[in-house]
Amino acid sequence: MADDDYDDVDMGYEDEPPEPEIEEGAEEELENNNEDAPDDVVGAEGEEKEQEQVERPRKTSKFMTKYERARILGTRALQISMNAPVMVELEGETDPLEIAMKELRERKIPFTIRRYLPDGSYEDWGVDELIVEDSWKRQVGD
Amino acid sequence: MARREEKLRCTKEPYIEDVGPRRIKSIRFSTLSGEEIKKLAEVQVWNNRIYGADLRPVQNGLLDPRMGAANKAGICATCHGNFTECPGHFGYLKLTLPVFNVGFFNSILNILKCICKACGRILLAENDRKMYLKKMRNPKADISMKNALMKKIRDRCKISVCPWCGSKNGVVKKARASLAIAHDFSRSVDGSIEEVRTALSHIKAKSSFQVVHILSPVTVLSLFKRMPEEDCELLNISDRPEKFIVTSIAVPPVSVRPSVFVDAGKSSNEDSITSILKNIINTNSILREDLEGAAPPFKCLDCWAHLQIQVVEYVNSEAPSVPDSKHRGLVQRLKGKQGRFRGNLSGKRVEFTGRTVISPDPNLKITEVAIPVLMAKKLTYPERVSAHNIEKLRQRICNGPDKYPGANFILLPDGTRQHLRYVDKKTAASELKYGFTVERHLEDGDVVLFNRQPSLHRMSIMCHRARIMPWRTLRFNESVCNPYNADFDGDEMNLHVPQTEEARTEALMLMGVQNNLCTPKNGEILVASTQDFLTSSFLITRKDTFYDRASFSLMCSYMGDAMESVDLPTPAIIKPIELWTGKQLFSVLVRPNARTRVFLNLMVKEKIYTKSETMCPSDGFVYFRNSELICGQIGKTTLGNGNKDGLFSVLLRDYNSHAAASCMNRLAKLSARWIGNHGFSIGIDDVQPGEHLNQEKKRKIDDGYKECHDLISSYSKGELTLQPGCNAAQTLELKITGVLNEIRATAGNVCMKELHWRNSPLIMSQCGSKGSPINISQMVACVGQQSVGGRRAPNGFIDRTLPHFPINSKTPAAKGFVANSFYTGLTATEFFFHTMGGREGLVDTAVKTAETGYMSRRLMKGLEDLSLYYDQTVRNASGGVVQFLYGDDGMDPAKMEGRNGIPLNLDQLFMKIMATCPPRGSDMLSPMEVSEILKDRLEKYKSPEGGFSEFFKDLLTKFVDNRVNLFKETRKALKLDENHVARKDSSVLENVAANISGITSRQLQVFLDTCISRYQSKKVEAGASIGAIGAQSIGEPGTQMTLKTFHFAGVASMNVTLGVPRIKEIINASKNISTPIITATLQRDDNVVVAKIVRSSMEKTVLGEVSKSFKIVLMSSRPYISIKLDMDLIKSLHIDVSAESVRHSILNHPKLKLKPEHIHTICNDKLKISPPDADRKKLQFELHTLKGMLPKVIVKGIPTVQRVVINEKQGKFQLLVEGTNLLAVMGTEGIDGTKTKSNHIMEVQHTLGIEAARRCIINEIDETMKGHGMSIDIRHMMLLADLMTYKGEVLGITRFGISKMKESVLMLASFEKTAEHLFNASYSGRDDQIEGVSECIIMGIPMQLGTGILKVRQRVEKLPELKYEPDPIIS
Repeated sequence: MADDDYDDVDMGYEDEPPEPEIEEGAEEELENNNEDAPDDVVGAEGEEKEQEQVERPRKTSKFMTKYERARILGTRALQISMNAPVMVELEGETDPLEIAMKELRERKIPFTIRRYLPDGSYEDWGVDELIVEDSWKRQVGD
Repeated sequence: MARREEKLRCTKEPYIEDVGPRRIKSIRFSTLSGEEIKKLAEVQVWNNRIYGADLRPVQNGLLDPRMGAANKAGICATCHGNFTECPGHFGYLKLTLPVFNVGFFNSILNILKCICKACGRILLAENDRKMYLKKMRNPKADISMKNALMKKIRDRCKISVCPWCGSKNGVVKKARASLAIAHDFSRSVDGSIEEVRTALSHIKAKSSFQVVHILSPVTVLSLFKRMPEEDCELLNISDRPEKFIVTSIAVPPVSVRPSVFVDAGKSSNEDSITSILKNIINTNSILREDLEGAAPPFKCLDCWAHLQIQVVEYVNSEAPSVPDSKHRGLVQRLKGKQGRFRGNLSGKRVEFTGRTVISPDPNLKITEVAIPVLMAKKLTYPERVSAHNIEKLRQRICNGPDKYPGANFILLPDGTRQHLRYVDKKTAASELKYGFTVERHLEDGDVVLFNRQPSLHRMSIMCHRARIMPWRTLRFNESVCNPYNADFDGDEMNLHVPQTEEARTEALMLMGVQNNLCTPKNGEILVASTQDFLTSSFLITRKDTFYDRASFSLMCSYMGDAMESVDLPTPAIIKPIELWTGKQLFSVLVRPNARTRVFLNLMVKEKIYTKSETMCPSDGFVYFRNSELICGQIGKTTLGNGNKDGLFSVLLRDYNSHAAASCMNRLAKLSARWIGNHGFSIGIDDVQPGEHLNQEKKRKIDDGYKECHDLISSYSKGELTLQPGCNAAQTLELKITGVLNEIRATAGNVCMKELHWRNSPLIMSQCGSKGSPINISQMVACVGQQSVGGRRAPNGFIDRTLPHFPINSKTPAAKGFVANSFYTGLTATEFFFHTMGGREGLVDTAVKTAETGYMSRRLMKGLEDLSLYYDQTVRNASGGVVQFLYGDDGMDPAKMEGRNGIPLNLDQLFMKIMATCPPRGSDMLSPMEVSEILKDRLEKYKSPEGGFSEFFKDLLTKFVDNRVNLFKETRKALKLDENHVARKDSSVLENVAANISGITSRQLQVFLDTCISRYQSKKVEAGASIGAIGAQSIGEPGTQMTLKTFHFAGVASMNVTLGVPRIKEIINASKNISTPIITATLQRDDNVVVAKIVRSSMEKTVLGEVSKSFKIVLMSSRPYISIKLDMDLIKSLHIDVSAESVRHSILNHPKLKLKPEHIHTICNDKLKISPPDADRKKLQFELHTLKGMLPKVIVKGIPTVQRVVINEKQGKFQLLVEGTNLLAVMGTEGIDGTKTKSNHIMEVQHTLGIEAARRCIINEIDETMKGHGMSIDIRHMMLLADLMTYKGEVLGITRFGISKMKESVLMLASFEKTAEHLFNASYSGRDDQIEGVSECIIMGIPMQLGTGILKVRQRVEKLPELKYEPDPIIS
């Protein structure tokens, strides 16, 4: 019910908004209100890439598309609803979709996405390699 | 379905490999021969009786139980399955004599045209045959090429003597009798016919010798049987041609033609197919008896023809050869909207749906929908029991089907299904185990799809969260009315409940209201506040509204149900009492507490805005800075839909959909509750005009009437000065209309000025919630002119509109001017005129819905399978590239922030950065530094994703340059050094300059970073079904276009087709458009004389117009016609015409067959023409015809050009050429051919090529849409234009164009001409790969688009490496 969204950093009432901290490579913080440390993502992604690149450089975007996200969450939610072991600590969530979202947020979904190119070849991307946009943050339960 | 009796009994079950679920990869279309039908069938059907005396189906009858179970009680005699298990089995019906299959009749005819009617070989010489065979076998040839080749071969096969057997061949054509083929020798070239005729001339009877033979099915069959395989291949026949002739009929299973008992089982009602087949059996047996018994041959032939017609009726009961059939044949079952393809395969009926009346509820969130308990008990969701929910589900089971949060069924893993009404609930609950599925009632938070017809775009069906509530209606927040186009005047809406976890996830992620706030049509926000919400926001933010602590706090708690923590801002007035303004309430609404880190920055000009930005006297400039409403009275521009820089749009772009959604929720609650207390209504006193207004109006109307009267009298005297391009009547109409419109406008203005500021209609129109100034002035002051078809009321009686007026009266009142207001009431005649106008609107809407509906359907079928692939290309389902990069920059139209589809609104973004990121003592960058940083950053940002598009890079550079220049200007004005910036605190002036327009390095960096990251997130994602979105984006606005066909494009009576008819023309790629116009640029565009000269050289001028006289001179020697040219006129018209050129034109005239020696130029303005025929008798006649025709000879100009108009635009002249022939116009001297445009797409394609045609399509659609005030992202039009042109020629989105674009038979069959496509496909043995959207839907296979473009694989943990040695002791 309550829209206690956006952010939980208590900083009292201020006339002027705080200055954004800018770090090299990180996205602007005002944009993403959750500080789910995008740095980690970039790091993890970089490491994986080094290993993979031995085979063939992958060309497709490193961002997860909304279709991929929906498909993965759907498949994972189905698995969870059928009693698959959950990969994250639960805090009272019972909805399979909500659990799947939590897993995705913590990059614990054990899936690989196979992206098909028009010539029939494909690229495999682990779910943990892809950068996920955060706009889905609070899509459930509001 | 297992055959219980015949099943082979083995001691061990044979091993059958389980290959898992199978997928249909492709479908091949072919024909069945009689033999094949016989093999497939289970039973021969020959008995014409259906039921025996015992009311049981007769053996070998049409309902033989071996063909499947007839009803729920029956059991199949073949597979012993019951009605649900048995798929049905075919029977066969052997025909005594073969007949043609109507579906293939044209193909049969074509084959016969190509083969020798004696030996059955193809009528081609050996070398030709080989050449064509090679071409036909070319593996690269696609279907359309093969079809074209086949047509070519058919045209070549016109040899009358067979090269193989030497026999003569006549012409094959359809005989006059409906379904027969005639072989006609009468046109054979050699004289053999004559020879025969003379030889037989001694026999009296003429009919004994026939030139025309009828080729009976039997002869055709034997010919076809003789055709060699290679010849079949040559004619693109995949199989044997004899299959096109029916020898036996496959009798379809009983289950597809159910028989129903009526009259308590006394008689039965048979399906159409059964009754047709019954007739066929009858005729067939009669025919057999006739043949076996020695019936006279004509009787047999009659019977055979009858059989043929009945077989035709079986296949296609609407075929022309079937005289008014009462039955539905096989083709009728398939085709049409209700047919199998469109009615059952492409769209299916579903369970778990609901439909009721809708009503509003502002207390719901925008993502919610209230579902009545009654409905929730019927709609269920199958939830699988797992550790997470077992207790909840036990509870539900205990409640059972009748108590609300309950359940209806339990599904056990073995497939049994228990209804909870007939099971002991307690034990069922206690026996519940993991893996069971419980069909529980819908509960709060469940995912449902909500839809309203007509579903014109994807926002017409969105995903909501369920809220189970009492009462009987479906309720939702009014903010969501817009995407559904719903109101609450009795509308009904549909509800669907997705039944699997995957379906609900995808629905929520992709179709959720939150994810569809913006329309992909142009990126404007669609879900936004409406009506009451706007009114109350407008009233709350008035300058004079103040609230004390109690009421302010109360209102703050309204917006979050008092559940939200709110930080009260500092009161605007502290003494004598603490008071808050209404504007502060809005600051709270956007950012209720400090924890909410939303910093909204925006500037919007409201409707009431007049001048000088923030100091606007009517407070129309809305300025939010860091979530604080500084000034402005909020209205529709800020909160409403259809805007790109309104409050919700900015929240959505700068923060996320949730920020926008929760703001909308808060506003809905606040305004609904506030306006409930405040009260807002409309009464009679709101529309009462004041004394001043009445006087003013009377004066104005009297003046206007007088003016009109003067005009009419001057018209009747003929003293009216004409307007260019109009006659007297048109001028009068134009002027009177102008005067009358002015009356209404001034009355309206006075009325708006006079109204009290508290007037409810006025408030509503000012804030944009409902009504326009016109509506108000119609109620208060004057209704105004009623128009029908764009002009004043037409004459329904003889020379007058109504019998109340004198004949030929043109006074305002007689032509439909309503001087009264709705308040004062309309007179009888006024009322009648008003209904005329009203009816036109109704008719318009009725007509256009059908028209635009069909247009949308065609667009959708054409574009449905285009999607974006992982390599960023747009392709169709079979992999053909339509665009290499979507919309030339790969951006998503739904996410575009700027106008005209520009990705970012840089001004807004920069403002936000400046506000949220204050300098705080850091120093400003010098202009040089700014440019350098920008360059550096752009250089660095060339990531693998491709960086910015060139266009956007330019835009960004220009924007930053502008800022730099602004800074420079400021410094110049303050007399500071322009290029070197000193420390901010070094001088006062420095500080001032910095505060006005300085940029710090951090600000610039944040700005550029935001630009980059946001640009990145605005790209289209792989898998997006771009085609469907494009089709909807073009189709949906079509429904809103009023069917106004014409409009004046500024120039005197230059009509251009607009609206739906024009869009239709473009999309159909019509060869003849109603108003072709070429816009030609002049090489010297600043001179009227030049323009006139060029105009006259293009405009069609006939000889009669430029000559003084045509004379017939009769002389004894040689009579002739003398023509004298009017040289003065020619000069004044600036035409380059002389006697010599006239001679030339006459010679080139196609109908006057004159030779050079007949025409003589005497001098520069005189010609002498003598008639060619020397025959004295005809001479006079000849001369007169010549004289009649000569004035019509075109001496100058382009024949296809009707009119040329000079258009002046800011001192520049332009020619508008009405007519076709772009090439000639471009070639005309004085015209700049490179800048000449045409609106005729096909012509552009012919003269300038396919790329120009593409450009033309884009421009024309864009212009037409703009003409109706509709903005559509250019990318959609690009995609449409690319689709229409990607095959190398312009293809219309019609059945012809689409069948050239697509290859799939199923898709084409589900579009139009179902039967034709299917028959053609089986003729040439087509393969359907089932790739496209339609095919996948028909076959029930997930399509390769959206979430189907990828595969998800489970990542399996790698097994630990096995070691065959003990671990080393020391490592």
